[in-house]
Parts: sequence; structure tokens; C-alpha cells
Amino acid sequence: MPMKIGEKPFFGRVDDALQDHFMRNAMASAQDRFRNKKLDATERDEQVGDWEEWRSAGEEIRRHTLENLDFYLDQLSENFSKRGGHVFFAKTVEEANRYIQKVAKEKDAKYVTKSKSMVTEEIGLNEALEEVGCHVYETDLAEYILQIDNKDRPSHIVVPSLHKNKEQIRDTFQAKAGYTGTEEPHELTAFARSQLREVFLKADIGITGCNFAIAESGTISLATNEGNANMVTTYPDTQITVMGMERLVPTWEELDVLINLLSRSAVGQKITTYVTNLTPGVEEDCVDAPKEFHLVILDAGRSNALGTEFQSALHCIRCAACVNVCPVYRHIGGHAYGSIYQGPIGAVLSPILGGYEEYGELPFASSLCAACTEACPVKIPIHELLIKHREKYVNHQENVKTSEKLAMKAFGVGTSTPFLFQIAVKGAPMFMKPLIKDGSISNGPGPMKPWTAIREFPAPGKDNFRSWFKEHQKGRQ
Amino acid sequence: MKVSLFVTCLNEIFYQDVAKDVVEVLERLGCEIDLPRGQTCCGQPAYNSGYRKDAITAAKQMITSFEDSEYIIAPSGSCTAMFKEYPGLFNEHKGWQERAQAVAEKTYEFTQFIVDVLGVEDVGAVYPAQATYHTSCHMLRLLKETEAPFKLLENVKGLELLPLENSYDCCGFGGTFAVKMVPISEQMVDEKVRNIEQSSADVLIAADSGCLMNIKGRMDRKGIPIDVKHIAQILNTLA
Amino acid sequence: MVKGTIHNKDLFLNQIASKLGRERKDNVSLPKWKHQSQWEVYKNSSKDDLLAAFCKNSKEKNVHVVETEKSMLPETIEKVIKEYGGGSIVTTKDDRFSQYGLTLTLDNSQTHIWDTAMGEVNIKKAKEAILGIFVSDISLAESGTIVQFNDKDIARSVSLLPTTYVAIVPKSSIVPRMTQATHKIHRSVIAGEELATCVNFISGPSNSADIEMDIVVGVHGPVKAVYLVVKDL
Repeated sequence: MPMKIGEKPFFGRVDDALQDHFMRNAMASAQDRFRNKKLDATERDEQVGDWEEWRSAGEEIRRHTLENLDFYLDQLSENFSKRGGHVFFAKTVEEANRYIQKVAKEKDAKYVTKSKSMVTEEIGLNEALEEVGCHVYETDLAEYILQIDNKDRPSHIVVPSLHKNKEQIRDTFQAKAGYTGTEEPHELTAFARSQLREVFLKADIGITGCNFAIAESGTISLATNEGNANMVTTYPDTQITVMGMERLVPTWEELDVLINLLSRSAVGQKITTYVTNLTPGVEEDCVDAPKEFHLVILDAGRSNALGTEFQSALHCIRCAACVNVCPVYRHIGGHAYGSIYQGPIGAVLSPILGGYEEYGELPFASSLCAACTEACPVKIPIHELLIKHREKYVNHQENVKTSEKLAMKAFGVGTSTPFLFQIAVKGAPMFMKPLIKDGSISNGPGPMKPWTAIREFPAPGKDNFRSWFKEHQKGRQ
Repeated sequence: MKVSLFVTCLNEIFYQDVAKDVVEVLERLGCEIDLPRGQTCCGQPAYNSGYRKDAITAAKQMITSFEDSEYIIAPSGSCTAMFKEYPGLFNEHKGWQERAQAVAEKTYEFTQFIVDVLGVEDVGAVYPAQATYHTSCHMLRLLKETEAPFKLLENVKGLELLPLENSYDCCGFGGTFAVKMVPISEQMVDEKVRNIEQSSADVLIAADSGCLMNIKGRMDRKGIPIDVKHIAQILNTLA
Repeated sequence: MVKGTIHNKDLFLNQIASKLGRERKDNVSLPKWKHQSQWEVYKNSSKDDLLAAFCKNSKEKNVHVVETEKSMLPETIEKVIKEYGGGSIVTTKDDRFSQYGLTLTLDNSQTHIWDTAMGEVNIKKAKEAILGIFVSDISLAESGTIVQFNDKDIARSVSLLPTTYVAIVPKSSIVPRMTQATHKIHRSVIAGEELATCVNFISGPSNSADIEMDIVVGVHGPVKAVYLVVKDL
């Protein structure tokens, strides 16, 4: 599956990540910088007003849109085609790729430029286009870096190359692209500009993702900073946009609210440098706009969430605000999630799109600290959705160790039977006594073992609180 | 004022001193305390692990034990937050949901109760030390209680509160997370411990025994001699 | 305009409706949104306040802001052209240039005015140009943003390919934020007016922070941006 990253099992990937000290430093410092930038653009920005109000507005808009998704997609596709565009609804990844391959073959396309898009990563579009003989150029700086580094995979949905430092990037540019400069970011960036400049102009097809489609006018809205999306959608004769089916707004007025939430939450900007809104229907004699415009609307598992407790996961606008505050992501980075959708929202989305067999462990990779929920600009209750995934996961017998099930059963019985609970409380000091050395347990057996692998386990207190309380009460009377 | 104490399972088993301090502080502030006999555990370990049914069993036990109380007080932001989750467990049982709602509404975290209900910010404690405070995630983000513990600690004589870098990050406890995801939890608690050390505090204070058990367990393992106290222990230290 | 095509729509949408547990909807009216903070931003600001905010916020986006009286525009623009090294210039084909008295300034061998009849040559000229000059249709105070409604004459390339772009920003075009612009577009869509194929919101020069989160100004789009703010009010 193109969404998948790496072959190792989850804990193998985590171990690899924890060994990668540069990556971990990069993640921690990126998070700290993101935090301040976002705070400056949200809670600390007096001009924008009450950020909580904005979040509520975002939630309200997303909920309404998803509840009426069929209607708005209908409206979008009709308005898009009315202006001469071609719409293809793709149930699966394969259908989407086949359609785009067909267009590429019809156009006899050799060169394809792409702006940053996670949904095309999700469907593995580059490989599909290469199969039909296209040269595919990633043009977003981060995606360009990944592509020339042996097609490395994204570790962050907004800055896909976040795990690489400038020295690594310099070395890659030198080894793969004949770069001779230093590791200074402006030099590296200038090199990418010079490498891609001609490519932009000669490309036959330009491919983009979609931040939001606007149903009322059949418009695709792209929020970017580098200008590459404009190059990709201006010079090729054919434009193909791939969108996840949930990424739309009813009208331009809702676009306004969501662009504001996205820009500020993702990168701490009041607005991204470019918000480019493209509608089919260019004039015959227009020189610098695509003649043909295709829109591929993708399900690929998204509808699994519709009408379920997971529907709000489709409210996601891919800002990565949750990723940027997640203490688990901070330490393990993006690749350890094994999915192009990483961090808290990745742990919610990946099992919906890719199933529990592949991604069932991800919802457990969270301490449920709720930093994600607090950060989400459209108020998705992310940590609650993680708990709901856990419920589903443990309900399948085969997923869980019998010992855990028994322990939870015992927990249920113990906590609902005060008498048994008291036996456990009173018995704890006695049971644990042989294990205690210097006031704590260093090497516990059974279920205590993972705890004591890295920490001391406390010795149970010697007194019984309830007996103390009884005596204490008597003393007060 | 009559209040019912939910002592919490961690305090009942491991940290009776904390429970006693809670009792003494509340009594000094004029509360009459009872300890409902039927109380066990709030059910969070099961709930967070996906065992909803077992969590419901625990919740019913707690609702039954506490529904006659005027106020329910727990010395834990996390357990208090779990009480607030109860109504959501009974979406298909209206009767239970109403009872759960009633219980949730009168449940307070210990410091929250002192500041918001009793209206007290200075409990007369004296604790000469340099300390730093760990804001537990559930208290901060689920209960959204950001002020009460700080107001109380600011008025403790002799106590100097030092800032803690990245205080908003989780300590890596997360209940069963700490045993299911050991390598990740280890990195999280290590970063927390590094920040605590860098604060140059001699005492770490928090209002959740779960976090403290995790952080103290790690500091003890590493031989780091920083004292760890539940906020009730500080508030019950008099001149 | 030739109508396009739609593939697999009904199958796809029927399934969505069924997952949502209901029949397909063929009519949905937008609710009145409960939360609308967007209208509060710079709500009671005067045109002068908006101008000041626009200039301040543009500078924060690395834009070189030059303010000028309408009567001084030709001189000012010449100064700017000199400052940026002169050389070749590309402009959109726009009647407003003559309204601003710029026809003479721009009528020289160095300046290429977009002309669809010349086909691909336009792109070559834009690529070689040092400066691209155009007029902002709507300008956003909150973020220092200019808005272009691109068509065959208001060509996309003018703000995209040259090393530096110069946007002429009439003071009268400044509104508080994106809200007013999208509201206007929304009204015109409802009125059945033809929407430009590209509505471009641009805030300063292109940039990236993809390498270690260090901001680098000038990536694939222009490296520099100049806003020539004209006090037409």
C-alpha cells in the first residue's frame, strides 16, 4: 500500500526512530518553534479575536459539510463540469491511478510536475505515472528533497522532509544532482529553483492536491508558500487535481474561515503566501493557463468513517497542529507511524483507511494527553477517537493477549465489588512484600515487568487508609 | 460543608499519606468528610484501554456509591476527569446517564474545590523550598483547570515556584501507555526529568499521583535526589 | 463553453448517502453560522487605519512598500524601476494603467504589455523580465495580501515569473481581510457572474521554511515584492 511506510513491525520502527538522534532533535526543535509561531498567530494575536470562536466556526462548518457530503460533492462536480472540467469519482486507489494514467497516455505526456500533495502520496501516483513512461517532478522543496533522496517518505504532512537536516540535504544534492554549494538553506533553495525552472515550463501535465474545493463555483483552492503550485497550474496544458472526497466547503465564505484556521494552525501565518483558486474554463486564446482540467475525487476508505463514531476524523484539514504538539511524535518522529499520515490524526486516520491489521497499534501509541484535541482548529476530539479505536481493536479477540483480557475482567469484577477491592488493597502490602527492596520494587514480575524495566514501582503503603480514617473520625467526635 | 472523598485507588494502595493530608486540609477548612464505603476505582484504566464494558461496571459502582453526596472530591485531576466522562458511557441508558450526569456535576478535583467552591487561596501552609510544578494533562486539558493549584502554591509561605520548561508536555504516564509503550514512555519521562533537573528545584509538586508515580519511579531508578510531593502534602505542612 | 464530463457520480454519491443512513439530498440550505468572528477583524477601522495596517502587515511579509499620491504615480514607478535595476518589464493588459496615467511611462522598448496575439512569446518575455507590474483588485489589510482575478489579459505569469513583482495597490481597494473579498466573490457567484479561472491571493514574495524551518525568501515564484500604494481616496 502506497500509504504505508517501511516494512518493520511497529516496535521495530520505534526502535529505529529512537536511535536517530538527529531526527529526534529536529522534531523537538521543530515542535518548539511551531508552538511559538502558532501561539503568536492565534491566542496571542489580538487582531484575530477570540481563537476559540474561530475553532467553533471551523467545527460547525466541517460538521455541516460532512453531514451533507453527497449534496456538496454533487454541486461541486456539476459546477466543475459546467465550466468544461472533467470529474472522476474514484472509489479506490487503483481507479484513481488508472484514470490519471489514461489521461497521461492520451496526452502523450512525458513530463509531469507536481505540487505538494499527501493524497497523491496516499495513492502512490508517482509510481503509477512512471509506469506509463512519465518523468514526475516533485516541486515543493521538501518533496523535491525527498524525491531525489531515493524517494524517501514524508515524516510530516506539512513539512514532509522535517526529519532531514541541512547537511544531509546538501550531501544528497551533491550526490544526486551535481550540487556544489554549501549547506546554507538559501543556497540549497536557490539550487532547487534553478533545477526546476525549466521543468515547470516544459511540463505536459501539472498535478496538485487540494486544500479545499468550493462547491458553489467548482473551484479548487490551494494554500502554498513557494509559488510552485502556481507554476504547476499555469504552464502545462493539462491540470489534474486529486482531492480526498471530504476536502470541500459549500461556498467562498466558508473557504475564508478554513483558510484562516489552516494558515494559522499549520505554519503560524495569517495567510499562506499564495491562496490560489482555480476554476476550469480558460479562454481559447489564453496563453498561460491549462486548457484541460481534471478533478479526481477519491474515497479510498474514507467512507468507512461516514455515519460512524469516526465521522469527525473526516473534518481534518491537514494542518498538522496535532502533530506539532504531540509528545509521542516528538520522540518517534513520523516514519515510526508506518503511514504517510502520522501523529495523532494519523493514528486515527490510518486505521480507517488502511485497517486494523496494518495500523491497529497506532491508536495505542498515545498517552491520551489530549494536546492534539486542544490544538485541533476544527475541534476534532482526537484523543477520544483514539479511545474508540482501542475499543474496536480489543473487541476482536485475536488482537489482544488473553492475559490482558483476563486482567481487565478482573478489574471489572474487582472495581464493582468493594469487598474484593478491599481484599486487593489490604493484600497488596503482603503480596508485594517479597519484591520490595529499599522501599520500592526494581524488578517486578508479570504485569509489573514493563513498568520496572525503566522505573521503580512504589511499595504499597503500610497503613490501611480506611482504618485510619475510622479512628480519625472517632477522635474528632 | 459536607463533602465525600474519593480517595482514588493509587492513593488508597500506595499513597495513604496523601489521602490523610487531603482529609486534614479539608477538615481544617471546615469540611465534614465522609468516605463512601463502596468506592473502588474510577474505571479509567479499562476505559482508556478500550474495555468500555469493564469501565461501565466500575462507573456504575462509583455512581451508586457517590450519588447521595453533596460534593465529591478527588485528589487527582485525572480521576476527576474520568467522573466527567461517565455520562458519555451511558448513551444507551438514559436512566444511568442522568445519574452519571448528576454525579459528574458535583465532582471536583481537590485544589479546584478549595479555590472555586470554598473560595480559599491561602490554606496557611508553610513549606520553605524551591519547587517546580507538573501540570498534569488531564487536569490541564480535560478539566481545563489551569489556575487553582498555582493560586494555592503561591500562598504557601517559604515556597518558591520555579518555571518548568515545556511544562505542557505529558510526562509519559498515560495509564496503561506506560507499560504498553515502554520505549516511548521512557523517552517522554526522561525529557520531563531533564527539565525538572534543569529547573533546579528540590521538590517536584503535582496534583496527580499517577504522574508522580511515573516521574518518581524514573528519578529513583536514575538516582536523582529530587523530592516528589502531592500538592496535598505541601498544603498540609504547617509552621 | 463546452461542458465537461463526470464519471461514476451516482454510484459514488449514493453510497455516501447510504453510509450516512439516508436518501440522497438534492437540496441543502446553508445554516446561519453561529460563530462569525471573521467580520469582527478591523470592523470599525477607517480607510486610513486600514491603509496603515496594510502597510505594516505587508512589511512583515518582506514586501517593499512605497506610498504615493495618485498624481505622483508615474514618477514613483519610474523611481522603483530604477531602484530595481531597470531592464525588461512585463505588465498585464489592463485599462487601469492608462487611468493612472502610466501609459507613457510603460510605453518603451523595455516593457512588454501582455498580448495574447503573440502567444508563447509572452511567457518568454515574462521569464526574462526583471519586473512584473499589475494592479491589485482587492487588498487585504490584515495580511498584506493582494488579490488578482486572472484571465487571458490579466495574465498569471506577470506576478509569477519575473524576479520581482510590483503590485499597484489603490487605497480604495483595501478591505479588512479575506472575508470581504470572499463575500464579494460569493455574491457574484450567486448572481451568476462568470468567475475568473484563477483568483489569486498573494502575500509578498514566494518563500519556504522547509529546510530546518529557516525562512528563505524567493523560491519558485518571485524573489522580491513591491507594493506601490496609491492614495486614490
